[in-house]
Parts: sequence; C-alpha cells; structure tokens
Amino acid sequence: MYILNLKIALRNLLRNKTASLINISGLAIGLAACLMLLLYVSYEWNYDKGFKNADRIHQVMFNFYGADKNIRATGDQSPNTIAGALKEEMPEVEHISRILWPVKRLLADGKNSFKVEGRYADPEILKIFDFQVLYGNLDHALNDANSIVLTASTAQRLFGRMDVLNKVLRFENQVDLKVTAVIKDLPPNVSYNFDCLNSWKLFEQLNSWVVDPNWHNYSFYTLVTFKQGTDIPAFNEKIKNMSRKHAASVSTDSEPFVYPLADLHLYGRFINGKPAGGQIEQLRIFTILALSILIIACINFMNLSTARSQKRAKEVGIKKTIGASRKSLISQFLMESLMLTFVSVVIAVVLVELCLPKFNHLLDIKLKIAYAHPLNWLGVIALIFFTGILAGSYPAFFLSSFNPVQTLKKTVKLKSSFSLNFRQILVIVQFSFAVILIVATLIIYEQLQYLKNKPLGYQTKALVEMPHEGNLYLKYDLLKERLLSSGAVSAMCHSSGSISQQNSNSTGMEWQGMSEADKKMSVNQIYTGYDFVKTNGVELLEGRDFKKGLASDSVAVMLSESAIKRMGLVNPVGKDVIFQGVKRTIVGVFKDIIWGSLTTKEKPMIIAFNQENSDVITMRLNTEKDLKENLETIGRITREINPDFPIDIRFLDQLVAEKMKNEATLGLLSNLFGGLAIFISCLGLFGLSAFSAEQRTKEIGVRKVLGASVSGIVQLLSVNFVKTVLIALFVAMPVAYLLMKKWLDKFDYHISIGWQVFLITGVSTVMIAFLTVSWQAYRAAKSNPVDALKYE
Amino acid sequence: MIELKNIEKYYANKGVKSYILRHVTTSIKQGEFISIMGPSGAGKSTLLNILGMLEEPTYGAYEFMGEDVVSLNERKRIELYRNHIGFVFQAYHLIDEMTVAENIEAPLLYKKVSGPERKSRVADVLDRFNMVAKKDLFPNQLSGGQQQLVGIARALVAQPSIILADEPTGNLQSPQALQIMELFKKLNEEENITIIQVTHSEVNAAYGSRILHLLDGVIKEDLAVPQGV
Ligand SMILES: Nc1ncnc2c1ncn2[C@@H]1O[C@H](COP(=O)(O)OP(=O)(O)OP(=O)(O)O)[C@@H](O)[C@H]1O
Ligand SMILES: [Mg+2]
Repeated sequence: MYILNLKIALRNLLRNKTASLINISGLAIGLAACLMLLLYVSYEWNYDKGFKNADRIHQVMFNFYGADKNIRATGDQSPNTIAGALKEEMPEVEHISRILWPVKRLLADGKNSFKVEGRYADPEILKIFDFQVLYGNLDHALNDANSIVLTASTAQRLFGRMDVLNKVLRFENQVDLKVTAVIKDLPPNVSYNFDCLNSWKLFEQLNSWVVDPNWHNYSFYTLVTFKQGTDIPAFNEKIKNMSRKHAASVSTDSEPFVYPLADLHLYGRFINGKPAGGQIEQLRIFTILALSILIIACINFMNLSTARSQKRAKEVGIKKTIGASRKSLISQFLMESLMLTFVSVVIAVVLVELCLPKFNHLLDIKLKIAYAHPLNWLGVIALIFFTGILAGSYPAFFLSSFNPVQTLKKTVKLKSSFSLNFRQILVIVQFSFAVILIVATLIIYEQLQYLKNKPLGYQTKALVEMPHEGNLYLKYDLLKERLLSSGAVSAMCHSSGSISQQNSNSTGMEWQGMSEADKKMSVNQIYTGYDFVKTNGVELLEGRDFKKGLASDSVAVMLSESAIKRMGLVNPVGKDVIFQGVKRTIVGVFKDIIWGSLTTKEKPMIIAFNQENSDVITMRLNTEKDLKENLETIGRITREINPDFPIDIRFLDQLVAEKMKNEATLGLLSNLFGGLAIFISCLGLFGLSAFSAEQRTKEIGVRKVLGASVSGIVQLLSVNFVKTVLIALFVAMPVAYLLMKKWLDKFDYHISIGWQVFLITGVSTVMIAFLTVSWQAYRAAKSNPVDALKYE
Repeated sequence: MIELKNIEKYYANKGVKSYILRHVTTSIKQGEFISIMGPSGAGKSTLLNILGMLEEPTYGAYEFMGEDVVSLNERKRIELYRNHIGFVFQAYHLIDEMTVAENIEAPLLYKKVSGPERKSRVADVLDRFNMVAKKDLFPNQLSGGQQQLVGIARALVAQPSIILADEPTGNLQSPQALQIMELFKKLNEEENITIIQVTHSEVNAAYGSRILHLLDGVIKEDLAVPQGV
C-alpha cells in the first residue's frame, strides 16, 4: 500500500510539473535558509560551551560603583592580584588563572617567521580548559617562563609538522622558548582563542609594570573553576568586599563577582550590575527569522496542496468507495508531504553546502554542517517530520474529509467558503511576515547608514596604523623623518592605543571647582607625542596641539568638548588639571571623538602628552600618490629600521567598520533572508494564481465568448489576490512599526521611523504581488476560449 | 441479508425539508438480483448510497447481515463495507494515476490482504476479464466499456457478497451494455453474489429477478421478474 501510494504521489508530481517545481523549490529554499540561520544560531549559542566542564568555568567580573552608591559600570577585566587572593582565601576555588587579551606575536624558527595570536596565562589555565593535547604533557606545560604551548596548525605552519616537542623558537625576537605541548586547534567559537599560549612569568619578565601587584589596574582577565557543589551566589556574597579590603581607594569602588563564562558571550550586557541580554537578542531575532521563513514555505505548501484539492477530490472519493478509511487517507497525504519534504531537505542541504563558503566569508565565521554528529541527523529527521507534518496536515485533514458521494457527483462545488477563506488567511499570514521583514530590512539599513555616516571626530580616509614595536621605539624620530621625506606619508604620530577602538580609561582626575563625586568620573585616555591632531584630522575647537620645542608641553593635555561640558569649565585653555597625579595644563579642546561603540554616548576624553607610553603608529597617507606605492614605501622603510618584525599595516576605515560587525551581520542577514522570504512568498502566490486561473478556465472561456476583454479578465483574476496582500499590509505594518521602534530604542543614537518606509514597502509589495499574479491571469486570459471549453 | 425499515432522507434547506426518500421499507435476500428504476430525481442513487453505507439515512433502521448499520461506529462500518460491498459507477471512477492492475489491487490493500495473495487474485480477475494485455495501461488509455470492466473487476476482486451498481451501463453502447449485464447475471447465478443495480433500461432490468420502482422517494411497486424471458 505504501509503495503504491508512493507511486501515485510520484505520478502526481510528474503530472503537475510546474506545481511540483514550485512546491519543492519553495520548500527547499525555505529549508536551506532556515538551516543556515539555525547553523549560525547554534554556532553562537555554543560559544564557550564546547569544553567538558564548561558549566563550571566562571569569569571574575567587577561592578564599579559611582559616587551615588549606584553601580555605574560592569567590567569583565580584573587586576593582576585577584586571582592570587581568591586562591589563597577561598577554599571553594579549584583552579584559577589570569589570562591576557590576544596580541599578535612574532614567532620565528630560523628561516620561518610570522605573527600569530598569543596570550599569556597562568599554568592553571590548562586545568580550567580541557585542551586536547597531541604532544607533550599539559601538567607543567606553562610552569617555566621559557615554555610555550602551540596549537596544531601553528606548529604545522612554523615547523611544517606537529610533533615539535622541545623544539626551540624565537619569541618576539626577544627570547628563545621551548615548545612544551602541542594541542588540537580550538573550535572557532571560543572567547579565549589563541594560536600560542605563553607563561605569565614570561609576561612579567618582559614587562616590568606587570610584576607589581596592583589592585587598581583592571587590564587582565581571570578565569576560575569551583569545586563540586559550590554555591555561586553565596560565593559572590563572600567575595563582595575583596577589593575594598585589599586596597581601599577613593577613585574606584568596585565589587568582584563571578559569572559563568558560557553565559558571557550571549548575556554579556549588564545594566546596574544585572545581566541584561546581549548577543542573545540577535540570536532570538535570527531564530524567529528562521522559523518565519519555514512557516512561509510551509504555507506555500499547504496552499498549493489544497488548491489542487479539486483534482484530488475524485481520488479521495473513489478510495473511500473502495474501502479506504479516513485514517489511511490522512496517512497517505501526510506521507506525500513527508516525501516532498525529504526531497526538499536533500536539495536544501546541497544548497546550504553550496552557499556556506560565501556565507562564512560574508560573516567572517566558520560554519559547517557536522555530518558526523548523530544529533544533527536527529535534528534533520526531526525537521523533516516537523515540516512535513506542519505543511501536510492541513491538506491531509482537509482532503480526507471529503464526502465520497459529494466528490463523485459531477457538479461538486469544492470551493466552499471555508476553504477559500482559510487559504486567503494563509496568504495574509504569509505576506504579513514578508511585509514585516521588508520594513525591518529597510529600517535596519537606514540605521546602519546613519551610524556609518555619523561623524567620528577624525578622518578615517587614507589613515593607516601599525604596531609600535621593536626598534621603532628607539628610532621613532628617524622613521618619522624618513617617511615624511619619502612623500608617502603627509603626517604621523604615535599613541598609546588605536584611535579606532576604546582601549583605556581611568578615574580620579581633579580640577578647580570639582565636587567630591567628580573624582569618580571616568575618562577615556590616549597618550601621544606630536602631530596627533594633524595626523588624525581631529577638529580643534579651541587652543592648539602639542608643540615641539615647548618644554611646558611635556605636561600638557587636550580635552574633548564633552569633557569640558561635563567638568563645567569656562575658558578652559590655560587652566590646570591633575591627571594621574601630575599637574597638567589644558592647551586645546577638540570635538568629540567616537572612540567606543558607535551606538552609545561617549565618555569625556583626555589626550595627554607622553612619549613613553606608545603602542601604535598612525600615519596619514599622501593622497596625491598611488596608494599601493605609499604602502610599499612605508613597508620598505619600516623594514629597514626594524628588520625583525613583519609589516602589519591596517586601515582605520576597516577597523571602524569592524566595530559595527554585529549590526552589519544583522543588516546583512536581514537583507538576505528578508529577500528570500519575499521570494518564497511570491513563488507561492505564483503557484496559487496559476491554479486559480486553471480552475477558472471554463469561466474565462465563457466570459470571453460573451465578449470580455483580456484586461477585464486579468483584473477579475488578480483583484482577489491583491486584496489579500493589501489586508496583509494593514495587519503587518503596525506590528513592524512597534518591533522596529523597540529595536531602535536600544541605540543612544538612532533614526526616527518615517512614513516613507511604509510607503515604499506598501507600493513594492503590491507591485510584486500584482506582477506575479497578473502574469498567470494574462496567460489564462489570452488562451483560446474554444480550447478552454473543450477541456471541460 | 438486508432489512430496511422506514428509511427517510431529507435535506433541510432554509428550514424547508425536502424529502428524497420516504418510508422506504424492504428486505433483500442473499442471491437476489434487484433493479431499481424510476424517473430522474426519484432518489435511486440516494437509496443505493444508503445501502452502500456512503450516506446515512436521516431516519429509519438499516440492518446489514444482522448488524445495525446506523449504530455501528466508523471503524466497524468500514470493516463491514470492505468485506462485503463492491461499488460500480456510471462514470467508472477509476483512479487516473493508477494502472489497470493497480486500480484492481487497491481494495485489497485496504483490506490488508497479503502481497502474494493480492497478486494471484488480481491475476485471476484480469484473466477472467481478458484484460491481461492491458494491465499496465492507465484508465485514459481504455475505451469506456473496458473502463467499466475494470470498474467491475475492482468491485469483484475483494470477493464481496453484494455489488451495488449505479447505472453501470449508462455511458455505454448497447452491445457493451449487454456484455456487462451478462456478466452480472453470471456472477449472480454462479457465485451467488447479490446484485443491486440502478437502471433506466427495461432491457437491463429484465436480467434481474426483482424490480423496485421508486417515485418521489417512495417505493411504488415491488415486482418479481418473470423468469425465462
Ligand atoms: N446534497 C443535496 N442537497 C439537496 N438535495 C440533494 C442533495 N443530493 C441530492 N439531492 C436531491 O435528491 C434528489 C434525488 O437524487 P438522486 O441522485 O437520488 O436521484 P436519482 O434518482 O439518482 O436521479 P438520476 O436518475 O437523475 O440519477 C434530487 O432531487 C436531488 O436534487
Ligand atoms: Mg442517479
């Protein structure tokens, strides 16, 4: 029986090629889109969850209190002292380790040398994460300062093979290190990723400032696991006063707490010290998007199947008269839909495979379908059943309910008002989704454009930066002189951090007329030498940049417009502030630089003169010369002065674009999948209108014989569909408005939603729907009426 | 075999009841060959459908082989139907997507007859109807008479005790019609299958043993056909 049903289903498919094609391709595209989004969601969802004891790994975080005793900020960085203190004082702690942010490190093995991402960490990091060791032993792998742990691909790149235990390599052109372990590459979705891992002891040997315990420098990360059965809330209560106890301070008041690492990626935003969402919100959007697309595709399926009910009715009637029960018919139709779904899933998987490389490239991630994973197969099977039953249930129950006597009568009227209305409701639901997606896509696009075009306070065009490292410290002046005279660079400066990304802030600045509470004001800080303003194209509102030859400028500062406003200074130039314990003079006021997130309000900012503290060299390229030539010149001169380090020049506009990665991802995905959703909806509408035209062939024939015009018939056939789309517009637009308003409210700076978006959406949706439908109607209307009448 | 008592059927339309069958009471014994006759709209098909359990009477009692059909549940009724009733239609009603053999096999599938048994029964029937050569054709590749033969073959293959035929020859030329009638007669006589047919033709009715005349939903006459005509 199943085989026969299968045969019938196949014959049915082949007989109605267009319909089958629309049905299968619509479902396949929908499923592919859904799969792709779900892959992305599961990738993000599983961030940091791949480790064996992932649920026991916590990160030490800090709540910072303002003068009003309220939490003003929550940070995930900690001082270098907290790890030791916790280990010593808290018996609950099992393993605890400090770990540094990733830095490009130069590794060399005689002939080969290149830069990889490296981190410094305490030996216990190897106990916190269960890295898969390939060679060596992780027990003592980081105990010695001159040891290094490599990932497999790093070892492969550097040595050409992986069993490189006890091999010696040169690190940062400064010290020789011995490879003590090679571990399997980390999955792409971990927060603490690295290519090589170095001992914290080495960090201290190479950087004297790290050696001293400092409770006030929140620069490092601290990870910790607990003994079984530790009550985390109670533990947090216990460590609350740790900072206050060890180092009472007037300028910072902070409370440490531990937070599950696996939650940090998804729930990383804190408001008033309480977790307040984060990346999870985007994942929710994508999950909803995935399900919406699936539902749209399923609705197509239902609509097309029920549209064919007239043709299937006879089959149902006959089967009932030869003894088929309703149950067997339901199972037949469900099986048909499961079969179609299965075919669609196969096509969808192929589609996903074809699109993944592009998709990965676009989003800069590494998704892949893990075929070896049994859970995924289970998921796919579940998806087939879910989709097959969801899509097939309505036609199955609808078709199987036909009364045999009714269906076998020639004059049977299947277009009962219910079935038509239900189909229309489905179309309305489908197009409502599509309309919401169009509106969302347009608004997201507008908002992203708005953020992109927001003035940054400096000019990113033709601005590049490279690390300040090696010989470039001692020979900075020589480098500057040679680059300027080469003509490749029109201005350059060095600074403590990139201008593209917030990287340092402090509290405790003092000035005349301040209140006690102002001591806790947090300011962003950059240290620099000469030509900062000229190089970056910062706009000065008052005063001047630091001037060479003016001895007094060695303690000069510039303040941002909002700092001046916040501090309440009038005629600030010439006034003094005390910054980091040094009395400094304000020489200039500059227009705000967007240093942190593009979406939130800026903190006050200070630019202080200090030639000792520098990590980055920023250069403005000479736009009169060829870009490639400029870069080559810079590379050549830099290499001559600092031969041991590879050239690593980065464009500021790209660095700024990276800051919008999350928003850009959202924009990209909503464009892509919003477009797909509309396409699938139209595919369904196309199929539906084809059936409607076919069903009304006789009516059209009679009307034409009676003298109806082609345009009259097109109108007759299209009007109904356009009406449903119009209803969808009215239903969906308020929903879209509310959803998008909520989304925009998350940004400190956002556009307001204008009526134009809705006009564009409305007109384009109706246009697309009308074109889709009228194409079929036109074909039907143009056909010869005699053929149509003969057909009946 | 069949007992009808006071069968009534009406459709209520805007509060007005329009009666299609009224006070239909009759009994049919195993092995009878009955023709139902009457003008168009008299309710013949309705009566046949009620007998075939495709429709339910509004009122009245219907007993089929000792079972009260009206009070049977869906599952039991289908069971009874599958085992005893074969339907033949004026418009043949074959499934277009199935071949001749598959069409004939279909009722056996619903009866859950085993595979080899199905094969042999279908082969038997095909053989008997001289249709072996046509078994892989689709209905639209057959003539009307051939299609009706397939329709009868399909009704027979499940070995029913009764065949209900609604104007089985209505769409056929008289030579083919006669062939079908001969077939019914043979089935009736040799295999003792009860046959109830609806027909407009006196000639066809003469093949049977009994004629029910229906007029406006009422049995006006119940005649025995004189044998040997
Ligand atoms: N669903 C229905 N609703 C209302 N009236 C119906 C319905 N089905 C059938 N009828 C009416 O019942 C009456 C009897 O129909 P039936 O099909 O039994 O007639 P018939 O005797 O078989 O006629 P014919 O010889 O033309 O086939 C007809 O008048 C018809 O209009
Ligand atoms: Mg009739």
